Amino acid sequence: MDINEFKRSVETDKGRILTHQFFITESIYKSFQECSGDMNPLHTDVTFALKKGFRERVMYGNILNTFVSYFVGECLPTQDVIIHSQDIIYKKPVYMNDRLHLEAKIDGIYESVRVVEFSFKFINQDSQIVARGHIQIGLL
Amino acid sequence: MEKVEILTRVQDIFRDLLDDESIVLTSETMADDVEGWDSLTHIQLIVAIEKSFKIKFTSREILSWKNVGEMIDNISLK
Repeated sequence: MDINEFKRSVETDKGRILTHQFFITESIYKSFQECSGDMNPLHTDVTFALKKGFRERVMYGNILNTFVSYFVGECLPTQDVIIHSQDIIYKKPVYMNDRLHLEAKIDGIYESVRVVEFSFKFINQDSQIVARGHIQIGLL
Repeated sequence: MEKVEILTRVQDIFRDLLDDESIVLTSETMADDVEGWDSLTHIQLIVAIEKSFKIKFTSREILSWKNVGEMIDNISLK
């Protein structure tokens, strides 16, 4: 896709903001656990999580990075994309069955090198920002 | 802005992105002279330079550069 065409297609009523909804399910949790092999008790043992001050098992923070991957790979106007870099800061714990609203705002489009930068935030069903970060993608 | 000032600022960007404080750029420096200056890093460098100097290059300009000196010349004309 031509970068100007990309620019035009991401112009929305809200400005250059793209959104998507995600839901933390048991299946996603299990799949991530299997993929990562991370059995840390904070994520697997409710008694341990309660003792540490959380209300239940804390979901893996990097599940949110898999949502970012989905967003870049599947929610943009073109699939001709590659992630150059991404960072994330966790603000609040995420729990099973949380509904997360991803809001990604385009911060910059660098036409000469076909690069687009986003800042993003995940907001839970209680309107709390649970994570925020940045993504830089290249258009292939 | 003086070219020497631009060169210093560009050098800082290179050092930051390539995590190498020993990088010293001159007008004659080319990509092969700097370890880690590959195609992906080149894209990151362009983005960082455009942001830092609040300028925009065209792809034609970028392709025309033979060394750092030509990049600095280009920035100075913006």
